[in-house]
Amino acid sequence: MAVVATNPIDSSMEQATSAKGEVLVSLQDVGKIYPNGTVAVQNANLEAGEGEFLCFVGPSGCGKSTIFNMIAGLTSPTSGMLSVLQTTPKEARKQNEIAFVFQEHTLLPWARLIDNVTLPLTLRGVPKKQRIEEAERVLELVGLKDCMKVLPRQLSGGMKMRVSIARSLISRPKLLLMDEPFGALDEITRQTLQDELLKIWQQDKKMTVLFITHNVFEAVFLSTRVVVMTPRPGKIAEVIEIPYSFPRNEDFRTMTDFAAYVRQVSNVLKH
Amino acid sequence: MDNMVAGTLKKSGPPAAKDLANSSPQGNKQGTTWRESRMMKRFMKVFPPLIVFILFTGGWEAIVRLIGIPPYILPKPTDIVAASIENWSSLVDSVSTTLMEAVVGFAVSVVLGISIAVLLAFSKMVERSVYPYAIILQTIPIVAIAPIIVIWFGAGMNAIVVIAFLISFFPVLSNTLIGLNSTEQNMKNLFYLYNATKMQTIWRLRFPAALPYIMAGLKISCSLSVVGAIVGEYAAGIGGGEGGLGYAITVAATRLQTPYLFACGLSASLLGIAFFLLINAFSKWLLSSWHESEMR
Repeated sequence: MAVVATNPIDSSMEQATSAKGEVLVSLQDVGKIYPNGTVAVQNANLEAGEGEFLCFVGPSGCGKSTIFNMIAGLTSPTSGMLSVLQTTPKEARKQNEIAFVFQEHTLLPWARLIDNVTLPLTLRGVPKKQRIEEAERVLELVGLKDCMKVLPRQLSGGMKMRVSIARSLISRPKLLLMDEPFGALDEITRQTLQDELLKIWQQDKKMTVLFITHNVFEAVFLSTRVVVMTPRPGKIAEVIEIPYSFPRNEDFRTMTDFAAYVRQVSNVLKH
Repeated sequence: MDNMVAGTLKKSGPPAAKDLANSSPQGNKQGTTWRESRMMKRFMKVFPPLIVFILFTGGWEAIVRLIGIPPYILPKPTDIVAASIENWSSLVDSVSTTLMEAVVGFAVSVVLGISIAVLLAFSKMVERSVYPYAIILQTIPIVAIAPIIVIWFGAGMNAIVVIAFLISFFPVLSNTLIGLNSTEQNMKNLFYLYNATKMQTIWRLRFPAALPYIMAGLKISCSLSVVGAIVGEYAAGIGGGEGGLGYAITVAATRLQTPYLFACGLSASLLGIAFFLLINAFSKWLLSSWHESEMR
């Protein structure tokens, strides 16, 4: 990823909303009004390109989960145009190029890790041999290769989340949707998993990640761009580019640049 | 495609967990004291109720002897034992007949209860249209309609099995249905997003997730099936040649053979307890590796 070192505070909205390369997700004036009249999302414009890591940050009720659900095809927008992989969200999902991680690990408690991790492939009818190979690959990625036959309850919260991430990676998705995946973890585990997630994302190079969080530090640390959202009505307030180069590590967390980006995002949120 | 549900439900439990926790070199010594304390615990679990049992039967025997109550009103425990030894072969016959009827009735209600529940779970529409009738079926006092069933199915095994089935059917159906309908929304979303078919969602998610509920239903209905079999025998047994416990009880009561009556009653409850313990053990075996309710 080519990075031009610019002043972090210098990123205009127009420049930041359009993506480079192939566009995987595009929102044009997308709005969502619930039947009870609540405006969940208003006039959202955004494009996410190949290989981007976009974090949606904002307080609860700012519509970030609604955007996630619309992209996943769980609900439909009430206005505007939303396309995923150049088609409708529901069609896009059928291509098996999208993967999901939720705040809860959503592992089947009765199934061994290998069966949990291979679930997306099993549902698609992929032969067993291939499933096992893929399971070995993704469990290796998250450092749990030796636990293939373990049941989820024998793992800690952080390990369960690792398995959940492994499951999402098994289909080699183009687009990875993560809804507050580290929200329930302690700070130390959270940082470890952030590092690992970035490592995995960088190895792939082509995978686009849309990541929802309410943690500004997490958003700045992970993203190529941060989508800042504000509530009542939920809308995209600003898209802030984080041009700091990858790989990012512990040093970045303590840099003045990092603090500047965090302040920039926080200012938009408080506004 | 291997069966993820059945294949992985039972095993792969504790060993890995033990590997994860590093065992200390003193593990062995701790192991023995731990085992001793466990035996102690088990002993403490069995001992108090045993004492109560001995005191109760001893007191019973003593009071009946002292006051001199005639055995046809209240037999002593020793009378009951004597009566059961005396009539041993007919008692065993009665118990095995009742057991047969209860087991068949129970098996039919498990098969039908679970499969109908799965059918109902497929569509909310079907559930709404059929389930009320299942509830009506449950509210009919089976004892009241038992004679009708005897007329329809003939006085004998068939009618008794039908009655045992009718009594034990509803708990299986309703528990399975509740279980199938209480899958976490997150999990259902996950299956939906990964394009699972309705069948896949039922067999790989909703059914295994419902297993704890199903087992709870089986525990209720296994005892009920014994009750149902005896009720059925009351209604049908008399013309049925080899009668079960219900038949033996009716005969013993009319002949005022109270000690044998007690023996039959005790055998019936022992049968119920044994059946329950069996289902309970099955439930433990099936669920203990992953569900809170059956973990030690």
